[in-house]
Amino acid sequence: MKSENTNPEDARLAALLRESRVAPILPPRFQESVWRRIEEAGAPAKTDGGIGWLEALAALVLRPRFALAAAAVLIVTGALLGAREGGQMAKQDAQARYLAAVAPNSLR
Amino acid sequence: MNRSLVIVLAALVLGVALFGGSYFAGQRACRMTLANPADDLVWLRTEFHLSDAEMTRIRELHEGYRPRCAEMCARIAAKKAELEAALNGATNVSPEAAQKLAEVAALRAQCQAQMLQHFTEVSRTMSPEQGRRYLAEMQRLTLGFHEQTEQSMSGTAGHEHHHQ
Repeated sequence: MKSENTNPEDARLAALLRESRVAPILPPRFQESVWRRIEEAGAPAKTDGGIGWLEALAALVLRPRFALAAAAVLIVTGALLGAREGGQMAKQDAQARYLAAVAPNSLR
Repeated sequence: MNRSLVIVLAALVLGVALFGGSYFAGQRACRMTLANPADDLVWLRTEFHLSDAEMTRIRELHEGYRPRCAEMCARIAAKKAELEAALNGATNVSPEAAQKLAEVAALRAQCQAQMLQHFTEVSRTMSPEQGRRYLAEMQRLTLGFHEQTEQSMSGTAGHEHHHQ
């Protein structure tokens, strides 16, 4: 069980102790500089010459999910565009074959 | 830095290779799938949305026209050989060469008239709209070449004859 300290000597002692603490004199804008340091420590390290984006891109490329997705997009897009072009070429081939059959070059 | 650059460049090369490879594979597959070298009339069917009945009639017309066309082409080739013989070693156009030129031109005109007649017959087997489109397209494809040549030789295309 706690007993309340009502001794007046203790109160004086406490007051003396509070007065005896030395409050350090902080440099100007101390708090601001502390926060700035914290932010700098949390931010990713900057590299020289502005090549951070290259490293970020390399890191992105090496991520398996990104690499697979990019490869899939490239393959599907390429195949679709190629198929469209192939369809056009097949149509031109067929047209040329019909023309050659009904209108030889000597008549055109 | 070098490592990152190598990784990005390698990824770019790989990406280009993937895109290019799939592009050409798709193009080749589609071209080979749609191609039918055994049939001259595939284009007509797809371009003018022809029914089986229309295709049957057009095939008959086509088969009837082919031998006549081949015969005319053989006659033109023979006449051209005569023209070349008449021009061979000549320093000017002899009356005989001029005569052969006229005969080649007459044969070509006769053959073209026969060809246009065939196009007209084919167009009649189609629906009116498709028939008109077919006729216009065939005239553009077969006679347009001469129009381009004539336009390029005329003054409107920037070429002028200067008579002194």
